[in-house]
Amino acid sequence: MTAAPPIRLTGLVKRFGPLTAVDGVDLTIERGEVVALLGPNGAGKSTSIDLALGLARPSGGTAELFGGAPRDAVVAGRVGAMLQGGALLPTTTVAESVALVAAAHRHPLPVAEALERAGVTAFAKQKVGRLSGGQLQRARFAVAIVSDPELLILDEPTAAMDVEGRRAFWASMRELTGTGRTVVFATHYLEEADASADRVVMMRRGRVVADGTPAEVKAVVAGRTLAFALRRPVDGFDDRLRALPAVQLVDARADRLRIATTDSDAVLRLVLAERADAHDVEVAARTMDDAFLALTTAPAEESR
Amino acid sequence: MNPRYVLLEAGRQLRNVRSLVFTFVVPIAMLLIFGTAYGANGAIDHALRLPWVVETTVQMGGYGAMMAGLSQAFAIVNERAIGWNRQLRLTPLTGLVYLASKIVAALLIAAVAITAVVLVSVLALHAHLGAAAWFAAGAGLWIGIVPFALIAILIGQFAPPDFAQPLFMVTFLGLSILGGLWVPLSILPAWMSDVARAMPSYWLNRLGQLGAAGSWDVLAPIAVLAAWTVVLAALITWRYRRDAARA
Repeated sequence: MTAAPPIRLTGLVKRFGPLTAVDGVDLTIERGEVVALLGPNGAGKSTSIDLALGLARPSGGTAELFGGAPRDAVVAGRVGAMLQGGALLPTTTVAESVALVAAAHRHPLPVAEALERAGVTAFAKQKVGRLSGGQLQRARFAVAIVSDPELLILDEPTAAMDVEGRRAFWASMRELTGTGRTVVFATHYLEEADASADRVVMMRRGRVVADGTPAEVKAVVAGRTLAFALRRPVDGFDDRLRALPAVQLVDARADRLRIATTDSDAVLRLVLAERADAHDVEVAARTMDDAFLALTTAPAEESR
Repeated sequence: MNPRYVLLEAGRQLRNVRSLVFTFVVPIAMLLIFGTAYGANGAIDHALRLPWVVETTVQMGGYGAMMAGLSQAFAIVNERAIGWNRQLRLTPLTGLVYLASKIVAALLIAAVAITAVVLVSVLALHAHLGAAAWFAAGAGLWIGIVPFALIAILIGQFAPPDFAQPLFMVTFLGLSILGGLWVPLSILPAWMSDVARAMPSYWLNRLGQLGAAGSWDVLAPIAVLAAWTVVLAALITWRYRRDAARA
């Protein structure tokens, strides 16, 4: 049986004292998926990754890799990872670092091949302490792939890279993942999730708040929030707005309506045409938090 | 066990020259200073019936070898602080193999440190001793550092990063001075010789001296060093199991 999914998190909870870092995460990632874990700092992305890899013990729920204990997958070399705070020794060269980790694995790639695949051959003989931020991330990537893993977990792999470095990194990533590898990467760049993932899982405050294709996520984030007040009673006008295809969410509170929409121009025209009593109109670009909210509450949301 | 990893780790440490200054350079410098001061004109320590210069060589060889063991504490604390351990935890390597690799690294570096001290002593200070006696002295010092590597591992396991440095300094100064590795005990106050007998560093030195003197009266040093080894290994294993259960 090889059908077990690379990652299955069930009711996962992690508490640190009074802080609940991961608050009931259910998530299954299938073979060959490239999944972006998107969310602000402190959303629980890194803690979820630690739990999935067996580096931390859950306070509740279970984390499984390939249908078994995370440690078994690690021992078998089926999972490679670039972690936050998992750094290389500064006095060691890139090639030595990769060779050390390769020696710890049972069936590693030849060191030269791992260096080549990660695109670090040019600076393989340099000491880790002398690398630029982007080079360091690529060196860590070489270490992550040396066991030739089926599942790659990358926690903010492009942190400290400039735009050009980021582009180059994802280009070499795509070459690697062309062969049906499963990849999960954490990021707080929406563009990165959009460009490189075929599924986006959004986390906030330790929970999965949205799970869909990048197109779905982007549509919501690209939208705007329209708000206005009415002098006369709402009188079913909120339902009229909800029926519009471009409207994702309508929140009616007292005399004030807030509308999440992908076409604020059209909605605004309709509002002004039909309700002469509309005033105090605001149109604002959506923040990431609004996007999360819209995604979780919109009835049209397609969750997997 | 994973011999390939263990050897690579030892080789890596040996190439990291900067961190080895205290293991190689300081003992040799002290040998040149003290060896000339006490060992001039082939003076003999009548208590041990060894030339002073040979005694100083054994002391400094022991000191360098001890540093090779103790400095593993730095390696471990550093690697933990940097997060290299987290990277290694994503491999099949077990924590015990990781610790074993530190002991092997300590032994390899100690072998180099002892050899360097003896060579300097013979070439620069013209210390006179038969090859077999030099070998016996070096082998005694070399095997005797196992408890020091274990002390280092214990510091690495217990000390929070910012406390590791002072703890290391206290341990290292205490073992060096009280064990008589820097200054011969015979010229220190009598009460210090009593303290010294509880120190593994004293017995490390003694093992080297007996080797140099060609004596087989090694039961006491071996018993004391073995006792330290057993107690330290038990503490390390206990702590390791507790950490593993918590993870």
